Amino acid sequence: MISIDKLTVKFGGVTALDAVCVDLHATVCGIIGPNGAGKTTFLNVMSGFNTPVEGSITVFNQPLLKMRPHERARWGLRRSFQQEQVADELTVFENVAVILDALRIDRADRHAMIDAALEFVHLSDLRNHKTENLSSLERRMTEIARCIVGQPRIVMLDEPGAGFSQTEVERLRDVLIGIYDFSGAMTLLIDHDVDLIRATCVETMVLDFGSLVINGKTEDVLEDERVRRVYLGVEELE
Amino acid sequence: MKNYGEKYGHFEMNQISGQWRRWLAPIIILIVALSIPAMGSALWLKVFTSVAIYTITALGISLLYRRLGQVSLAHVALMGCGGWVTLRLSHAFHLPFEFQLFAGGVFTAIVGMVLAYPALRMRGLYLALVTLMAAGGFSILIGIIQFPNGGDGFAGYAITAITHMERPYLAQSDEAFFVYCIMIAVLAYALVYAHEHAKPGRAWALIRRSEASAMAAGINVTFYKVWGFALSGFLAGIAGGLLAGSLQFLDARSFPVGESVMIFALTVVGGAWHWFGAIIAALLFRLMPALLNDWGVSGDAAFIFFGAALMHALATAPKGIAGQIAGLASRLMKSGDRHD
Repeated sequence: MISIDKLTVKFGGVTALDAVCVDLHATVCGIIGPNGAGKTTFLNVMSGFNTPVEGSITVFNQPLLKMRPHERARWGLRRSFQQEQVADELTVFENVAVILDALRIDRADRHAMIDAALEFVHLSDLRNHKTENLSSLERRMTEIARCIVGQPRIVMLDEPGAGFSQTEVERLRDVLIGIYDFSGAMTLLIDHDVDLIRATCVETMVLDFGSLVINGKTEDVLEDERVRRVYLGVEELE
Repeated sequence: MKNYGEKYGHFEMNQISGQWRRWLAPIIILIVALSIPAMGSALWLKVFTSVAIYTITALGISLLYRRLGQVSLAHVALMGCGGWVTLRLSHAFHLPFEFQLFAGGVFTAIVGMVLAYPALRMRGLYLALVTLMAAGGFSILIGIIQFPNGGDGFAGYAITAITHMERPYLAQSDEAFFVYCIMIAVLAYALVYAHEHAKPGRAWALIRRSEASAMAAGINVTFYKVWGFALSGFLAGIAGGLLAGSLQFLDARSFPVGESVMIFALTVVGGAWHWFGAIIAALLFRLMPALLNDWGVSGDAAFIFFGAALMHALATAPKGIAGQIAGLASRLMKSGDRHD
């Protein structure tokens, strides 16, 4: 469970997040909102890349903001980025292994964990291939495997479906839906693809201009008048 | 079933031949290097000893550049640090050469860690300028304190009494010391290989991709950056100690700032992305001027070639000469496989 209280982030005179208060409980939570709404800033604060001027984040009864960024990852907070971040000169296996390097895990267990994660994202056959030769989807899947290997507690995915075809998004969707069963981790998913959010997220929160518009069950949120107004671009609903 | 067996067998053979091919070039280079003393020329032996030593330095520079994306223009100065410590210990304590060499490497690793401090906050041109200033600072400092030559006091320098440094017990002659340097270079390669194919290598690869992704993968970016600089500094320090052993004394004028810039540029020309790029860099750095001198042309003419080669590398061969050779070899092998 993630509990956010009065979270405020400012960049100079711009308020990127404005006293956001929300509790996230669901196994898969969507975060939607128009460009500049503060979605990625929210993930960056969770990761420790941006420091809030005010507020607190509690994750599974732990104060998150006291941990340094790499300590958060070791604790179990994993994330992917809008622009996938796999190292070209490493193999698929090594790209996934890197996150276990910081943890004290027995060699045999470590291999088993990585192989399980690669199987889950359907990359077992490419285990020893360098990622520079992989397709965009395979690179994205490698990054997701890195997020779910071992024992993650929270997996944050920033627009994983961006730039993919419908068929590729469907393959991605099947993987996203299975993350909780595979790893037991809670997933936070940012995406502009409403169908993907509808298919994967139990709950969804909507941000607009750094403020929380609504948080609740996905089907209710997507039908909400305020959401349609701020997110779907409907100016006035009489 | 028989067909499957044959197919599998063929696959195995390919795998084995692939493994052999990987080691073929290093083994050939090693054999060629070890046969150099047979040439019987004292001058060329000194030149190739110098090539072996600068290969270790270039290896350290390419490690920083390739894995962390960091530019260091202070590596010849770092060699000077290693050389100073090795000479000082040698004249003061007369300990086994290996111990002094290692101590010089460790001291320079610490200096490398100090250089890593600005690298935590800046990169690219700004970091390059900081390292260049550090090299300049070393040049001035060493001009004042000089290299130890058996004199008294902390600096151990005397204008008149010059004592030569003792070489390793097993490598007293020039020929033996050349082989000694080759062996240390092989160990340096093994050290870098071991790092690159283990935890630090994976961490560096992700840091180079982006520091944010590295932090998100639980990597302590500060620690691994400092580690990279320390390893690179260690290699430069070892190279400096070997240079001291080779000449048995060092001259403060042998470590100008320009040399640090030049060895970095030649590492890029040689190819930081391939293991033998460091060897090409050292060959260009030390062998080419000697060859030009031998042919009656001023060794300084090499600078014109270096400038042209750098432009060529930046414009058309980002992976350097080594990358071009590796690409050519790969194409030739594929063509050979098709004919099989």
